Amino acid sequence: MPKQDSVTLNRNRIFIFPSRAGFAYIALIILLWLVATNYQNNIVFGFAALLGSVFVVAIWHSYMNLSGLQFRIVKAAPTYAGDVAEIVIRVSQSTPRLRDHIALCFAEGREATLSFHGPVIEESLYVKARQRGWLNPGRLRVESSYPLGLFRVWTYILLTSKGVVYPLPIKGHPQLISADGEDQGQGTGNHSGSEDFAGIDNYRLGESRNHIAWKQVARSGRLLSKRFDDPPLSQSWVDWDAFPGLDREARLSRLCAWLLEMSQKPDPFGLRLPGYESQAGEGSAHLAIQLEKLALFEIEEGA
Amino acid sequence: MTPAWQLPRYGSLWLLLGFVAAVSPLFSYLPGWLIIVASAAVIWRLLIYRGRVGAPKKLLKVALVILCVAGLLFSFPKPYGLEPMATLLVSAYSLKLLEMKGKRDALITVYLGFFVAIILSLFDQGMFTGLYIVVPVVLLIAGLAGINQSDRHRHHLQPLRTAALMVAQAIPLMLVIFLLLPRLGPLWAVPGLGPSARTGMSDTMSPGDITRLGRSAEIAFRVAFEGEKPVPQQLYWRGLTLSRFKDRQWTHMDGWGYSPGLIQWQEEPDLDWFQDWQRQGRSSHYEITLEPTHEHWLFGLDTPEPASKGVGLMQDFTLVTKEPVNSRRAYRVTSWLDQQKPAIEMSDLRRKIELSIPESSNPQTQAIARQWAVEAGNPKALIQRVLTLFNQRFVYTLSPPPLGRHTVDDFLWQTRTGFCEHFASSFAFFMRAAGIPARVVIGYQGGEWHPDQGYLIVRQYDAHAWTEVWLEEEGWVRVDPTAAVAPERIELGAMDMLQDEDAFFADSPFALARFHSVAWVNSLRMQLDLLEYGWSKWVLAYDDHQQGFLSGLLGNTSYLRMALFMVVAGLVAMIPVFWFSFNRLREPPRHPLDQRYWRFCRVMARHGIHLQTGEAPYDFARRCARVRPADADIIKQFIDAYIGGRFAGKPCEKDRLNQLLKKLHPLGFY
Repeated sequence: MPKQDSVTLNRNRIFIFPSRAGFAYIALIILLWLVATNYQNNIVFGFAALLGSVFVVAIWHSYMNLSGLQFRIVKAAPTYAGDVAEIVIRVSQSTPRLRDHIALCFAEGREATLSFHGPVIEESLYVKARQRGWLNPGRLRVESSYPLGLFRVWTYILLTSKGVVYPLPIKGHPQLISADGEDQGQGTGNHSGSEDFAGIDNYRLGESRNHIAWKQVARSGRLLSKRFDDPPLSQSWVDWDAFPGLDREARLSRLCAWLLEMSQKPDPFGLRLPGYESQAGEGSAHLAIQLEKLALFEIEEGA
Repeated sequence: MTPAWQLPRYGSLWLLLGFVAAVSPLFSYLPGWLIIVASAAVIWRLLIYRGRVGAPKKLLKVALVILCVAGLLFSFPKPYGLEPMATLLVSAYSLKLLEMKGKRDALITVYLGFFVAIILSLFDQGMFTGLYIVVPVVLLIAGLAGINQSDRHRHHLQPLRTAALMVAQAIPLMLVIFLLLPRLGPLWAVPGLGPSARTGMSDTMSPGDITRLGRSAEIAFRVAFEGEKPVPQQLYWRGLTLSRFKDRQWTHMDGWGYSPGLIQWQEEPDLDWFQDWQRQGRSSHYEITLEPTHEHWLFGLDTPEPASKGVGLMQDFTLVTKEPVNSRRAYRVTSWLDQQKPAIEMSDLRRKIELSIPESSNPQTQAIARQWAVEAGNPKALIQRVLTLFNQRFVYTLSPPPLGRHTVDDFLWQTRTGFCEHFASSFAFFMRAAGIPARVVIGYQGGEWHPDQGYLIVRQYDAHAWTEVWLEEEGWVRVDPTAAVAPERIELGAMDMLQDEDAFFADSPFALARFHSVAWVNSLRMQLDLLEYGWSKWVLAYDDHQQGFLSGLLGNTSYLRMALFMVVAGLVAMIPVFWFSFNRLREPPRHPLDQRYWRFCRVMARHGIHLQTGEAPYDFARRCARVRPADADIIKQFIDAYIGGRFAGKPCEKDRLNQLLKKLHPLGFY
């Protein structure tokens, strides 16, 4: 079943079969026919024939409840892996007819029930987003037994969703990377700010020599370095290389948490991934673009 | 995952109405305590519907179950029969209605309702019953729709509309099935009506039985003659012969003492006795449409010969059928009006049966009969003498005085006042006592001709009893002692003879026949009867006409031709279903703003812009605006107002949309 942007239900797609109530109804008609035959009663015979005809007419009515409906995913809000994603489905019809009691349900979601007679209706469905990337809600089951419950009419449709699932944010400890990139790849620096002085600590191998607190070194005889809390402007890059040793998904999760943390601060920030470097920017739109980069990193276009 | 199913409010309302429609006409046939059970269920359901009470307490349910069980045991000591079964079904239906909660309960209630709805037609098969049954069907289907629609509806009538539409669409297919589907004979025996619920003749006759039928104006059968109508003196509708007299009562006796081959079935090769029958004189061909009698025997003019399949003739010239007549039945008969019964030799055993009378009963009559037999010398003279006695001294009335143990003695020599069964019974007894084989025949005499259509209507009050006497050269000869007492009974019919008596159709107080002397009432009565006759013939007794109807339609009725015809007719019958769906005659959108939007779409269609499948209102409007830039502004206003009002919850006036629509199409044709 290929994914499509929008799906119109027609007889190639709609399945129809008597429900349990429908089979019980058939049994009832047979019973009535037996009464009619044994009592040679033509009123009962006509009655059974009428119920039988209603059964046949109900096939058509059940089918018409789904036929001609068009489905399209109009909105799939971005979400984080492991969370529940909201998918808004637009159901429309081009000729006015009452559509009643249509159940919509993704494989792993709650059921929603539709009832409308206007041209269009939108309904939110919620599915669990399992992994980052394009949101893949699976097949949508559309089912109805309106009007008499004698038939189950159903179909499965596969819709393209433009929803994006961000990586699950995991807080990590990025290592320091210098702005000019001269220390890039050494990966031994602690991530330390360089603006606001926060205190003096033991010098650790790989720290910038600019940070060595020479006065204190002279006084104490130990190699000490200055600590700064806030990252300096040049350090506000959320960088792929700040988490050496981790695999791709773990890195993306930590980058995600980092991005979120950065977005809380007033300063501009940017994202560096292999093969991609964003402009420095701020605001939720900028954040969303960067999160989407993380979500779709090394994932094919489309889904 | 899904929340617990709740019975939709309106669904339960239609189930309730369906219950009332299915059950209430049954009360006149079923015991009185059932009304209590059914009303309790209905009232409790109504209270639930109004939100006054919750589900019934266990105590109430237990009390009703006990009432039902006790009532069933009390009303029906013998549980086999139609009435106890119907009572049981209605009880179960009431209790289920009362306690239904889940969807399964509601379904069972509806299906039980379908079953209860047909019970009425087992008791009564009139045209109005047949048409009435559509009412509970529609209501119950509305109940079915009600429990399957979503609870978002706020329309009471939606389920009823759905049901009425579906039933209307189903009717053509139903007619095809009804006309074409072959009928099988009964597959097994089913319990019939209890004797108390029947009207009509039984296979016994004691004083008062025929009198009782005189109180009823119900129809026994109708007859359509081919060709000449018989004269009133020939309208003796022969039913059963009663050959055994004991304890005041004449009873039918089985075929002991007859030659082999008791019954000649119409479709079987001729038996010896049947072949020997020399038919002479005038014959009459006719079709009888018999109301249900729940008996095996049929009626026919003296002397009958069956002309329909499944009808047989016994050696005493009783017409019989293989299955009891549980529903209306049409059959054809040829009658030999000049009374040419085959002169079958009577066996000694049979002669003994036809002569036997209990020794000690009616001693006075026995003595006088023996004396008169000697005085008369030959049977014909004796018969004449008794008939003369009847003619001179006896009174014919529907309200005779009661008789003692020796009914014949009391009647012949004391009261001398009676109805036809008294005359027939005492005449036959007299003949037997005088040594002449005799038997009582019960049936109907006369009938009322439909003035325009020329068919004959025979009612219960036309019930009659007469006798047959065995004369050595002639065989069995009909002798009607009533004709000697009251010849006008035979010439004018029961209605004219008896209408002034209080007891005459006293059991049918509202019968239009009561007012038959008022011209327009009589005309109305005859029109109604014509309808009812058509119903009997073409609906209830259709089985008997089906073969003729189909071969008239199709030429020969080979299976292939039948099957093809059925498929084609079935497809044709489905046309209204598709027609309704393809035409715009379907559910109009009920939201006022949606109505304006559809109107907008129609206006745009007039300009050649058609809404495409799945196109959202906004997209459609944008497309319209591009195609018609002159109207773009109005279109934009319209669609913003519509979308804002319909989906964003902004206030939106219908009138504003109307104004904008008018601007788009000033003439206002949509």
